[in-house]
Amino acid sequence: MILKKDISKKMMIFLGVLLAALVVLPHVSTLSTTALFSRIFIMAIYAMSYDILRGYMGFINLGHALFFGSGAYIVGILFNNIGNTVPMFILAIVITLVYSSIAAFIMGKIVFRSKGGGAASVVAGAMTTLALGEIVRHTAERWRDVTMGADGLSFRIPQMFSDRTMFYYYALVFLIVMTLILRQFINSPTGRVLMSIRENEQRAEFLGFDTEKYKLIGLQVAGIASGFSGVMFGVMNRFVNTELLTVQQTLNALLMTLVGGTGTLYGAIIGSGFVNIVQSQLLNFRSVHPIFERWLLFFGAMYVIVVIFMPKGFMGLYYSITDKRRAKIKNHAVKQTAGKS
Amino acid sequence: MDIFVTLAINGLAQGALLFLLASGLSIILGLMGVVNFTHGTLFIWGGYVYIWIFGLTGSFVLGLLGAMVVAFAMGVFFEKFFVSRVYGNVPAQILITLGLQVIFTELVRVIWGATPLSIGRPTFLAGAWDISGVVIVHYRIFLIAIGLVIAVGIHLLLNKTKIGMIVRAGVQRPDMVRALGININTYFTLVFAGGAALAGLAGALYAPLVGSMTSTAGMHNQVLAFIVVVVGGMGSFIGSAGGSVLLGLMGSGVAWFAPGLATIANVGLMAIVLAFKPSGLFGLAVKK
Repeated sequence: MILKKDISKKMMIFLGVLLAALVVLPHVSTLSTTALFSRIFIMAIYAMSYDILRGYMGFINLGHALFFGSGAYIVGILFNNIGNTVPMFILAIVITLVYSSIAAFIMGKIVFRSKGGGAASVVAGAMTTLALGEIVRHTAERWRDVTMGADGLSFRIPQMFSDRTMFYYYALVFLIVMTLILRQFINSPTGRVLMSIRENEQRAEFLGFDTEKYKLIGLQVAGIASGFSGVMFGVMNRFVNTELLTVQQTLNALLMTLVGGTGTLYGAIIGSGFVNIVQSQLLNFRSVHPIFERWLLFFGAMYVIVVIFMPKGFMGLYYSITDKRRAKIKNHAVKQTAGKS
Repeated sequence: MDIFVTLAINGLAQGALLFLLASGLSIILGLMGVVNFTHGTLFIWGGYVYIWIFGLTGSFVLGLLGAMVVAFAMGVFFEKFFVSRVYGNVPAQILITLGLQVIFTELVRVIWGATPLSIGRPTFLAGAWDISGVVIVHYRIFLIAIGLVIAVGIHLLLNKTKIGMIVRAGVQRPDMVRALGININTYFTLVFAGGAALAGLAGALYAPLVGSMTSTAGMHNQVLAFIVVVVGGMGSFIGSAGGSVLLGLMGSGVAWFAPGLATIANVGLMAIVLAFKPSGLFGLAVKK
């Protein structure tokens, strides 16, 4: 939909200032703010991985949390059973990569069977992925020896990650690297084909593209990115439980992409920032009235409000403003040339 | 041999409950193309309202009626104010019903607390027959009977009345129905709220069966109902009946012979059906 390959000079300056501010932030803010921002960065990658599915493929995956939660579980189980060392962390990344791509392949093989696109396949896909996510959650809950069931798994992490400020920088670097990779993916020929499938699957098929293969690749990329963010999330919290595998966790990603604007990739980052900051602010209000502890009430309300009043999210708002301005300038120019002749 | 009779009764009772949830879901999907994610929350509201009214009055029937009335009202509210705004936009429908589901499930926790509420069966259904070693629980037989009555009722409503005719026509060709001067939006609201009332009834009947109600029961049963809809065929009433019985029987069998595999068996069945007959076992060729 909206793709800007060349970033304007103004944007470069803005991004530079933003980056500088983010680098300085942990030195001037409290530890809890630093932790909040680490969380925002990690959730942003999770939300971006979701946006590839929702925004660029038009596919509502209600089992997306299975990648995220599994990533967190993989790192937790490795640290707990073998040892909390940096090589184990790298091994966790590799296993997550393999696991996510296999899981995405299986999921895609089941879900993408009903061809032709359209409303029916979105519906069937949503239901099927919901059920698949539930399977993984159930398995994690039952497999007590390894996952500790519903109690959750707490573990120690390597020395390297234990400093909150240092971890903030790792998360920031992780976010930047993943954003660049995912942006590259979206701009690649494969990404373009995915968008054409979203717009009209039948036409893409007639052009000779094996649409199922492309959709599988898209789902695998999204699954891997989601798994990676899960690994980081596990390391940040030093704790995993089955909540990370629930539908609620998938809905988190959905809300973040919705708030930021779907199909924009960067919208997911804005959405992650907005949702996480609102959440932590609401929790601060709980001394005023206990209703503010009920985050899910506000979460659901935000959902409904965004869908009805702001279907394109913050990025959509931003683009509509800049487009209007551009149209105004253009109109002005047209009028001037018309006046001259 | 005895165990198979018990398992069959358990399975049919479970199937009857699933049918109440899935039939509404399936007709709403067929008529309006809406994947209704509020069904799970209507289910738990039905259960909690039943427990509340049963505690106040001690009347089983009043409890069931109360649950249905509350769920019906919620259905009207959801459809009129939220779902009707996003017809034709499938992702937005999924999202908006998900949002409502989150809000109203959390409201249940605010009102009744997050811990499970226990509830007994009404005295006249609490017993069991013991026929030469086969224990037949009254309440399960009652569930099967209710399921049958409702299935026949919906069948008659859909096939013998004018309302049913319009709904069936609406599933096939909504534009044509509109062109004939019928205000199909009223029927949308009615069907949505009717499905909601059935979901409420299912919740109210589920609570005494299990012996307790929790706010997490909604999502679990909703997933099962979705599987029924996919297996039976979207928008097909016969399909949701057949799918419910199939899933109920399979569920009770798996729970006895291989507990722990229950969810995997259900999803496995769904995957197989999707792989070989994507339109569902009883799928109609619904043209949209």
